Amino acid sequence: MKIRGIKPMQDTHVNVTPLIDIIMCLIIFFLLVGHIAKAASVKGIKIPTAKNGKDLRDKSNQLIINLVPPTGGYSNDTAPAILIWNNRIPESQLAAYLRKQKGDNPKIKVVLRADRSIPYRFVAPVLISCAQAGIASIHFMTRRPG
Amino acid sequence: MARSTKHKSRGMHSAHHVGPNMTPMVDVVMVILIFFMLGSSFVSPDWYLTNNTPAIKGGLSNVKTNAMPPTRINIKLRVRGTRTIAILPGLQTADLSGELATFLTNKHKALSKGVPVQVFISPSNGVPYKDVITAYSDCIQARFKQVAFRPPPAQ
Repeated sequence: MKIRGIKPMQDTHVNVTPLIDIIMCLIIFFLLVGHIAKAASVKGIKIPTAKNGKDLRDKSNQLIINLVPPTGGYSNDTAPAILIWNNRIPESQLAAYLRKQKGDNPKIKVVLRADRSIPYRFVAPVLISCAQAGIASIHFMTRRPG
Repeated sequence: MARSTKHKSRGMHSAHHVGPNMTPMVDVVMVILIFFMLGSSFVSPDWYLTNNTPAIKGGLSNVKTNAMPPTRINIKLRVRGTRTIAILPGLQTADLSGELATFLTNKHKALSKGVPVQVFISPSNGVPYKDVITAYSDCIQARFKQVAFRPPPAQ
């Protein structure tokens, strides 16, 4: 008889559904960002170090040019591969490619990711192509020393 | 026993959780989230040397060197054995990040303020990219604002 007046029990659990929604969104965000970063940057490149670099706050309108060293050493036949968004661009077509990119987006900024061991004779054509395409702003990607 | 059952069915209705138990899923998802957050923080942030190269409309034949400041410093980079040597008027050193940086800093101080200076980095064909970057970093450290890269000499 004592328990006659007890109110029906209510579910005291915390509603975790919104929490799961938010967390799943965050995970998808990290996955996408990681995927995009992986697509833009190519593995196998040892970035050189520099003492006097700076952070880029505005990372919009970037076009990352990767210079990947050949596996068998350098020669006139085995030049570094020029990769943009994982697409190999022949050196002879780079200026035209950049010119088209510049036409599509006049605010474009080139980021050069080149391996530290690449001889300058393979880097200079990329700089010349940028200049020929009218791209004035080039960012050399480096790492902090240590 | 029968009495107790009778009372329970009459007065209170125990709550039943009909949905799936979300606790293990939340645990796993939180672990994944923490993994991604830590993984992204371990990746060292990018660090850039920014350069504004002169845009050339119509190709290299249209470059007007007269438009550049008359005060110029030419840093030649040459390969000697396995090392890269920087050659300037008054300096020849293999210590790119030390001696060259100090020399350029003193050079910048010696020049009167407000005078624009054009610095050229002229590497030869075989100079590794990292040494070109080091020389360029030295120029930035010395506060030279106009730095350009020359094409390698034709072989």
